[in-house]
Amino acid sequence: MNPYVLAILLSSLGLGTTLTFASSHWLLAWMGLEINTLAIAPLMAQHHHPRAVEATTKYFLTQATAAAMILFASTTNAWMTGEWSISNLSNPLASTMFVAALALKIGLAPVHFWMPEVLQGLDLLTGLILSTWQKLAPFALIIQTAHNVDPLLLTLLGVTSTLVGGWGGLNQTQLRKILAYSSIAHMGWMIIVIQYSPQLTLLALGMYIIMTSATFLTLKMSLTTKINTLATTWSKNPVLASTTALVLLSLGGLPPLTGFMPKWMILQELTKQNLPIIATTMALAALISLYFYLRLCYAMTLTVSPNTTNSTTPWRTQTTQTSLPLALFITATLGLLPMTPAILMLTT
Amino acid sequence: MAVSKTTLKSLFGVYGVIHRQPLLLPSTLRYSVILSTRSIHERDYRRPGQPPDTRWPWQKIQFDFSKGVEGVKKHIGLLKDEFVQRWTGPEGRPLIVHMLEQTRVQWEFRGPESLNQWVVSSDQEIGGRSEAYIKLGKNNTSCLLYGTLCSTPPRDGETRYSGYCTLRSKQSLASFDRKKHFDWSSFNTLHMRIRGDGRPWMVNVSTETFFSHQKDDIYSYFLYTRGGPYWQDVKIPFSKFFLSSRGRIQDSQHVVWLDKVKSIGFTLGDKADGPFQLEIDFIGLCNDLAHSEEFAYELYKRNPEI
Repeated sequence: MNPYVLAILLSSLGLGTTLTFASSHWLLAWMGLEINTLAIAPLMAQHHHPRAVEATTKYFLTQATAAAMILFASTTNAWMTGEWSISNLSNPLASTMFVAALALKIGLAPVHFWMPEVLQGLDLLTGLILSTWQKLAPFALIIQTAHNVDPLLLTLLGVTSTLVGGWGGLNQTQLRKILAYSSIAHMGWMIIVIQYSPQLTLLALGMYIIMTSATFLTLKMSLTTKINTLATTWSKNPVLASTTALVLLSLGGLPPLTGFMPKWMILQELTKQNLPIIATTMALAALISLYFYLRLCYAMTLTVSPNTTNSTTPWRTQTTQTSLPLALFITATLGLLPMTPAILMLTT
Repeated sequence: MAVSKTTLKSLFGVYGVIHRQPLLLPSTLRYSVILSTRSIHERDYRRPGQPPDTRWPWQKIQFDFSKGVEGVKKHIGLLKDEFVQRWTGPEGRPLIVHMLEQTRVQWEFRGPESLNQWVVSSDQEIGGRSEAYIKLGKNNTSCLLYGTLCSTPPRDGETRYSGYCTLRSKQSLASFDRKKHFDWSSFNTLHMRIRGDGRPWMVNVSTETFFSHQKDDIYSYFLYTRGGPYWQDVKIPFSKFFLSSRGRIQDSQHVVWLDKVKSIGFTLGDKADGPFQLEIDFIGLCNDLAHSEEFAYELYKRNPEI
């Protein structure tokens, strides 16, 4: 892409999220969300491939619908209560509609259907931006308004998302779709605790961003997008194959890896709030997601697939991609659990 | 509606069904919004030289209760299968089968029901004189596509060229007529066993085009048949398929993505009048590990900015 156009688009992406972070008026927040949507649309469609066009179309339609619903909710609230401030979304109709719009924006079940198709049509770097950066602005808004929203709705969204994220990812063979369902499940974990402890939502979001970035960058480094090609990465980069197995287990939430931290804290908070059934349901739903992460580990490291590459030692050749961000994210994904108290201090 | 039945009847009676009638909506007479049958009917294909079918949608209904019940049973059965096969693995097979799969036979002609998945058409739709038929070959082991080409254009004042026939697979449907696609991403080569008569055919693969609004996008490649009694094994890597739209090869090419394939087709249009025959044993896919080409054509940008 033309470097000037790329610079404008990336800076618009940054501007949109920052604008939403910095805003206390609904219109400015909505504007930030729209800037994000518009800035990422050319990045998604840059390859002019029909599947990329399909992904862009679906993404744009869903995000525009969600943005329109947000605008409608905020104007309804302003009409009913005279308040344009984000934290004063007190009208119940407005707050419910806003949560529905946010669910559509970040891909919570039951409005998650766009997520796998959209991620499947994108290249890995744009998919990474979509899964991580594009979630920040909506979460900034929902954290500020969660106390006004019906608690049952948030709980339902959370539990449904974890279950759907688990069931949906079970029979996928395309890695981007698996990561989409993983994203849906993680969003469910974040939403379930938002009404009790928004700091844990931020913690879960931060950890999710680190783990997903590690996964996407790994797939980009080994240029794999399906399970069959993932099975050959052991010959290309054996160290990466072994660390990726651990990254996937971290996504699944197993101790002693970083992914355990948000799940542990969230389950603890839910138990403290006397919600043992919801906590148990969430834990069991996480097991379903763990199954398909383990399946990826099985395909990649625990078996030697017959779909081998022609050469026996491709790991001797060096890759030209920059590996520093990948190394940083993998280290963070594997080693942050002992620092839980320090991280909790950061988010409270 | 304020427009009375007698007015409607008289309109239709006087002008007949064939002519299009503008129908004024009563509440918006001031703005004269016209609702006519034209906007509804000209979404469908109109054969050149023929008048448009101007029946209202409710005049085209053919209601049959028993067919409805059968349809419901069929669709609910398909839906149940979809739920049940998820227990086994992706596409109803265990993951280990998916990982070990190197070849797959997608279409083979072993019984009369296999012909139902295919649609054969020729230029008779536009008024030409070619004929094309399919039937099962000897011992129900192959499909025979045969007929006659005639490149005389139909005399409807619009068409200039004619003389083609095509065999295309129907889009497979899941329960409740939802579209189902093939996921051929584990493979990189199309493998067919055919017996032709020396004519040059085109193989066309089409992918999901609903969301890209390019419904005429097709990826094609040539299929040269050698006549003769011996079967021909044709292996075409998917990297060789080029993009064309409505028959015109596009400038900006890209490789065909195999994760949402809709259908495959064969086209003959070689301007040679006379009989033709193509016998197909099976159409399958294979993963040629020795083929490392990603795309056979140049991907550079034409007319780049200076």
